Amino acid sequence: MDTLLYLTRRVLQALAVILIVTIVVFCLLHALPGGPARGILGPQATAGQIAAFNHEQGLDRPLPVQYAYYLGTLVHGDLGTSYTLNEAVSRLIEQRLPKTLVLTVLSALVGLLLAIPLGMWQAVRRNKPADYVITTLSFVAYSTPVYFLGLVLVLLFTQTLRWFPSQAPQGDTLAQVFADPAALVLPVVTGAASMIAVFSRYMRAATLENLSEDYVRTARAGGARQGAILFRHVFRNSLTPVVAMLGYYVPVLFGGALVVEQLFNYPGMGLLFWSAAQSSDYPVLLGCVLVISVATVVGTLLADVVQRIVDPRVKAGRA
Amino acid sequence: MNILDIEDLSVVFTTDTGDVPAVGGVSLRVRPGETLALVGESGSGKSTVALAAMGLLPGNARASGRVTVDGTEIVGAGEAELAGLRGRTASMVFQEPASALDPLTRIGRQIAEVVRNHRPLSRAEAAREAVELLRKVGIPEPERRASAFPFQLSGGQRQRVVIAMAIANSPSLLIADEPTTALDVTVQAEILDLLRGLAADSGTGVLLVTHNMGVVADFADRVAVMLRGDVVETGSVEEVLLRPTHEYTRRLLAAVPRLKVDGEGGVPVGATGSVTGAGEASAPVAAEAPAPGDGQATAPVAAEAPAPGEKPVADDEEAAGPPVVHLRDVAVRFGRGPGAVRALDGVSLDVRPGETVGLVGESGSGKSTAARVALGLVPTNSGSVSLFGTDLGRARGRARRALLSGVGVVLQDPVASLDARMSVAECVAEPLRTHRRGMPAAERRERVAEALELVRLPRELARRGPRELSGGQRQRVSLARALVLRPRLLVADEPTSALDVSVQRTVLEVIAELQDELGFACLFVSHDLAVVQEFAQRVVVMRAGRVEEQGPTMSTLLHPETEYTRRLIAAVPVPDPVAQRRRRAADRTGATA
Amino acid sequence: MTAVLHTTVVAEPVAGYRLSLRRFARNKLAVAGLAVVVLFLLFCFVGPLLYSTDQTHTDLTQVNLAPGGAHLLGTDAVGHDELGRLMYGGKISLLVGLASGLLATVIGTLWGAVAGYAGGWVDAVMMRVVDAGIAIPALFILLVVSAITSPGALGLIVILGLVSWLVPSRLVRAETLTLKNRDYVLTLRATGGTHGRAILRHILPNSVSTIVVAATFQVADAILLVAYVSYLGLGVQPPSTDWGGMLSAGLTAAYSGRWWLIVPPGLAIILVVCAFNAIGDGLRDAFDVRGRG
Repeated sequence: MDTLLYLTRRVLQALAVILIVTIVVFCLLHALPGGPARGILGPQATAGQIAAFNHEQGLDRPLPVQYAYYLGTLVHGDLGTSYTLNEAVSRLIEQRLPKTLVLTVLSALVGLLLAIPLGMWQAVRRNKPADYVITTLSFVAYSTPVYFLGLVLVLLFTQTLRWFPSQAPQGDTLAQVFADPAALVLPVVTGAASMIAVFSRYMRAATLENLSEDYVRTARAGGARQGAILFRHVFRNSLTPVVAMLGYYVPVLFGGALVVEQLFNYPGMGLLFWSAAQSSDYPVLLGCVLVISVATVVGTLLADVVQRIVDPRVKAGRA
Repeated sequence: MNILDIEDLSVVFTTDTGDVPAVGGVSLRVRPGETLALVGESGSGKSTVALAAMGLLPGNARASGRVTVDGTEIVGAGEAELAGLRGRTASMVFQEPASALDPLTRIGRQIAEVVRNHRPLSRAEAAREAVELLRKVGIPEPERRASAFPFQLSGGQRQRVVIAMAIANSPSLLIADEPTTALDVTVQAEILDLLRGLAADSGTGVLLVTHNMGVVADFADRVAVMLRGDVVETGSVEEVLLRPTHEYTRRLLAAVPRLKVDGEGGVPVGATGSVTGAGEASAPVAAEAPAPGDGQATAPVAAEAPAPGEKPVADDEEAAGPPVVHLRDVAVRFGRGPGAVRALDGVSLDVRPGETVGLVGESGSGKSTAARVALGLVPTNSGSVSLFGTDLGRARGRARRALLSGVGVVLQDPVASLDARMSVAECVAEPLRTHRRGMPAAERRERVAEALELVRLPRELARRGPRELSGGQRQRVSLARALVLRPRLLVADEPTSALDVSVQRTVLEVIAELQDELGFACLFVSHDLAVVQEFAQRVVVMRAGRVEEQGPTMSTLLHPETEYTRRLIAAVPVPDPVAQRRRRAADRTGATA
Repeated sequence: MTAVLHTTVVAEPVAGYRLSLRRFARNKLAVAGLAVVVLFLLFCFVGPLLYSTDQTHTDLTQVNLAPGGAHLLGTDAVGHDELGRLMYGGKISLLVGLASGLLATVIGTLWGAVAGYAGGWVDAVMMRVVDAGIAIPALFILLVVSAITSPGALGLIVILGLVSWLVPSRLVRAETLTLKNRDYVLTLRATGGTHGRAILRHILPNSVSTIVVAATFQVADAILLVAYVSYLGLGVQPPSTDWGGMLSAGLTAAYSGRWWLIVPPGLAIILVVCAFNAIGDGLRDAFDVRGRG
């Protein structure tokens, strides 16, 4: 299949997904006490004000019409106004998103760089003590609530060893965030832990599957040594399905950021969301959901495109 | 000195269910320049012997005994020592070209890698060598093709690449494990020619593992026959194939379907010693094997016997009623837009009551799709499909189900054909449950038991699960299910292709006898011309989604009208080394003429 | 098309389920997981009968006692016995986790089976909905919905079930796609069998192992999710609690050295979630099911 056709189809699919997300968010918005009017006028608005606003904004019109209107405001980047912070939601997210991205991208990088070699090593040492130990550890890492892990790390590295501060870097600009790398260590490690667990399992499974493929036997029959087989052939073939999983992991990363930011008091979108949840600041909550969902859709799209570049078979529409 | 010397080799596999012995005390030798064929049915251990000779046995295998390749001991050797040997002294070609190459590495690189594993060449030099090797194995435009990925090549070309890797360092021993089994016959012939040429040029010893007696006759100098982990007979190819001494070898050879070909008088005709009377509309399948020890087994015994296909097909007026299957100008496209594949293109064919029509062709010819169209499983883009005179496309709901209740189906895969979660009785009873809902349980049990007896399976099997049965038994259960409603049409899509020849023979016999008894028509899809020749009155040859030619089996397969059918027939190797040598020579002169 | 494989078709001597059972029994981690789950179920549901404590009334004379004496695991800031509370909270955690995990599996199975079997545009639309659901992080949507409704245990089960059926639906769809093209289903359809029979007699029974494996992982994830929701203060409300709520309540205490308020619930969550994951892993290997590394 030709690349342009593929891209078009894939982008259309992504748009359809985003459309469905907006429907979900729209429904939630209407499920709110007071509906979207309160979302814009704020919790102090009287019933009369709300009714007037509803009429003025056409919110007493049929739902599909309102949905069309809602889509219109979204297209213009209007996500409503925060109840408590008295600022446009889009502006708030604009300020906070880059910081969350720094945290999630760093966590993902650290996670992958550790998980991939770990998973391969486990596959090679399958059913040996090292494999069992790492498997058990990754189960534990996956099963530990992020906030519990963070707490334990803080107790250990801040209170007892005093290596790293318990607060993430503060400040509004990215420069300020990077100015204090030691303060980033605990948040990034906490965020990366479950990713290491999940992706080392993926990599282990993919490597094992590839090691039993016929082409490995062909390579051995040609006199290739174990190391060459592993790094020249198995590694690349195992990596592609793992890369494909990355897109689906974006929402999990954001979920982790939500807790990590709250725990380490890191002023990103997660913290914004958390405080909005405490104060029932619905426009902020739904605005964040929308932005993160779009980020996920874009993430999966990118993962697919990357896979298409890495794996020539996908390009031919076979894999 | 022997290039390969196997002395008392035994291999045991450790599995979930305990130790399974695969090879028990095998001794073999291959001399430089000779080809030894190792033949046997599935589970005989022949592939295990081949892997043991390369030191490539899987981790759960334990080998004992002695295997020496060019003087080096393989059993118990370290991985480093083996790596130095593999690809240089001994090389291997595998069965499945689709998966034998790394899908993400360009083929030129994969070949160059084997070169550089054993010779201190620069990357550029190795790449040049890879191109030369591609040229040697007959890949067109090797410079360009070297940078192709495996998925961009056809199955035959991929197998050529695997061969290029195998001969990259001019090994003294080449082990080929079913090298042509996954390929079409015409491609098989090309690959065998290539291997023969390469071996002859370089004096390489070849260990050829195969189940196909035609391939053996075409290629081997000597033959070793394996049965359940043991070598039961060894000898020259003429001795073993023409004058077998062991009981098992004789039975095996008798079960091989032989393609009758037109040509010089001496062309052997297979084991069709006794043929069902031509008067009946049934396919004759050899009811008896040739007498043991009959050296003349391949003499033209049955040449005068009225072969089934020669029976003049009943006049159209005489044929009772409308055709059971009627395809008119059927076209099927898979996918949409510019990437769409024309799976069928203007296909018309009829199956008349009681007759067997063989649908033959190579992979991708559309033969299976045509059968599935007749069953209503694949929607058509244009054309019409009728079953028993009723348009299948217009029938809906209950009417459609009633129409389809007159059809029995047997498909290729013995494992996937039966739901492993059901008992044999439930599998066979399924059509009764769909079409005879009111039937009392006792009567249903009786009908199931009858159907099992019909296909010569004991009633007691009804309680078992499909997993407990062998492949041949499973296919007979499928047949019992297909026949439990006494259908007017049986559609069989490669029903015996996954089976060993001896089992195939039994299943085909059962089908033929039941057809005699019950009088159903049969649409028989097969890639195997010899089977179709024995089995069908009429044959439809398909190629690339079109009907190439059709007609009475004997005249079509003995005197094909199109060049394609002629090539198809010429490519089938016959299991007689003398005849096969003559055919090859004839084919070559024919090709150059 | 019809590649002619000279495949070995050797009948397996042992029936499928028995072989799977034997493989599972040989997986030490999985068996240990099963033991842990059984022990915790006994602990939470039978334990209170043997070790009875008051978990509804506060007792301000007995606050923040260290482990020992009458309170084996000490007491919390309002005087609840910590060991008793561990049983009490565990009931909610396990109940909500199991029930919502199963609910998610049921929804996912139906959705995936219909999408996979129907194919075509029905499948396309249904799977875009799943993509959309996956794109919205479950934790976020959970917080929004919890903030709107402040649910009890039952509400929590429904909400968790509704946000986490996506992964099982994808697995079941993939399974259905392969199964509907199995030869025995094709044979049934080609001889006039109904779609209902194909789904009920062939596709669902053959998806059972995939569904069971998915359900096990689903329960593990649900128990974790409950813990997150409670941690963020939106779970079941006091005096009722669950392990996540206990952790959340003990958080500040941990900094002042009262470890017994966080270590027991933390370990309980880790152990149980680990156990379900290990069981799922063992079942997947035993059934030879693919999906989720």
